[in-house]
Amino acid sequence: MIADYTKLANEIILDQRSKDLRLLVLEALEGGGRGHLGPALSLIEIIRVLYDSVLSHDPRNPLLAQRDRFILSKGHGCLGLYAVLADHGYISTSELKGYCDFESKLGGHPERATLPGIEFSTGSLGHGLSVGIGMAMACRLKGEHWRTFVLIGDGELNEGSNWEGAMHASQHQLGALTVIIDFNQMQASGEINSILNLDPIGAKWKSFGFDVVTVNGHDIVQLEKELNTSRNSYSKPKAIIAYTVKGKGIISAENSTIWHHKAKITREEIAPLRLEVSQ
Amino acid sequence: MRQKALLTVYELAKQDPRIVFIGSDLGAGTLQDMKEELPQQFFMEGISEQHVVGFAAGLAQEGFIPYINTIGTFLTRRSFEQVTIDIALHNLPVRLLASGGGTVYAPLGPTHTAIEDFSLMLSVPNMKVFAPADAHEMENLLRSLVNDSNPHYIRFGKGGENIVTDEFLEFGMKPKVFGENNSKVIIFTTGIMLQHCLIVREILSKKAITVTVIHCLYLNDLSLRSFIPMMALSNLVLCVEEHVPRGGLFTQLIHECVEFQIPTSNLHQVSLKRFFSHNYGSQADHLDFNGLTAPKIASHLESLLESNIR
Repeated sequence: MIADYTKLANEIILDQRSKDLRLLVLEALEGGGRGHLGPALSLIEIIRVLYDSVLSHDPRNPLLAQRDRFILSKGHGCLGLYAVLADHGYISTSELKGYCDFESKLGGHPERATLPGIEFSTGSLGHGLSVGIGMAMACRLKGEHWRTFVLIGDGELNEGSNWEGAMHASQHQLGALTVIIDFNQMQASGEINSILNLDPIGAKWKSFGFDVVTVNGHDIVQLEKELNTSRNSYSKPKAIIAYTVKGKGIISAENSTIWHHKAKITREEIAPLRLEVSQ
Repeated sequence: MRQKALLTVYELAKQDPRIVFIGSDLGAGTLQDMKEELPQQFFMEGISEQHVVGFAAGLAQEGFIPYINTIGTFLTRRSFEQVTIDIALHNLPVRLLASGGGTVYAPLGPTHTAIEDFSLMLSVPNMKVFAPADAHEMENLLRSLVNDSNPHYIRFGKGGENIVTDEFLEFGMKPKVFGENNSKVIIFTTGIMLQHCLIVREILSKKAITVTVIHCLYLNDLSLRSFIPMMALSNLVLCVEEHVPRGGLFTQLIHECVEFQIPTSNLHQVSLKRFFSHNYGSQADHLDFNGLTAPKIASHLESLLESNIR
């Protein structure tokens, strides 16, 4: 029987660590008074698992030569990444409050030049995969053994450049490359299938030459298992379809287009969101 | 010029494992020897310029120096955002080797003619824009700037151009001067138009009109300050470029004139027209149509000088 991952993603109960990370996201959102909340909350468990137990990385040495590379191609999900980076000590949690300030390291999209730990600046969609393919190829050419992970939004897959990249990743048999799709099934204007139907998403990636697995993108155990599989350098690249919920963990933001991106957010709006996280 | 450039990349790659060549379906036989000898440094990717530029950025971020070659319009128009964000924002040493500069691909129509490439590339922060005049200058450029940390856009001519820069043995970013310091006319030009402008110089010398040609290989910085005395002595300054009127060499010239407070009343331009051409034919036909052949430039200069006298 095929699991109903949409249902599983909706029903899973978040642990305290996931709640704490969401409170960090709200710190930044309150400080900036704006931001992409929903997109950050759908991918936060994926990034948490990557930094907690998958990636080889060192917050004291963000450019560690043999680190695994992680590109957040879906740059607008950066509040989730900032929360995890702060939690790991790349920045202090107090810096989150400065989100989007003129001199902040934390912009509305992540930048390599300003924030140590950001592998590549993203924001305009459909760029991360090809850059990640270049990095994975560089790793092969240098005879090194780190891995490359690229996290892509489902709405982002509207961009054709992703599919150019997918074909080439497969052509080069870049087994050390893992693509994770944050499949929250929503984009800025509504449900993805009402805008541009991605079904059958797994079969699409399979037909492009990827090993494809499907997970509940909020399930820590499943994510760890699928992100940590050892990969042969010359083999099919891997695509993980992570079913998630946009706005997961804050009821009023869940599956909401209003909280896709919001500006002029007041403290009064943030307070009830904090309560919802704690519930 | 293209052949020399690609062979130079191959030669450089033999000595430097950081150098990789990337093409997007450039046709059978392209750098076949490199493909066989250095397969790890040779990538013939699909028809996918957006991907190819991003791929090059990823390689460059990890220490490689990718040289991408395809038709200039595809590098500038098709993948403009990848060039801007993936390469230029990260200031990565990717080399964009643009085949078919200007109207080289005239018979293929307006989708293939690179008439606004300078404008697009000069507008991108960190990007260095070059237009060599011949194969000698191209080779010198490629060999000399391997370790330059900026991204480069390099416009190719058609190939088979006469070698006109061989008196300049050493590579230099500053414009090359052909002529004296006290000529009546100064022509600023770039790329293969240097060839035509040197013929203009010969034509007019027979009519006792002295011309100095200044060839700007590197379009970002014309070092105009050093030409202030020469310009002050001249009657007329003409900018000649195979590019739409705005955003290219003439625009750079105007900016530096303003910066150095150089009068612009005697500054004129001959360029491609400001519209898309729907004619085909050859590059020579298009240069002729736009008044960019040596006889037409010479004649234009004579009439400008006459009207100046009046």
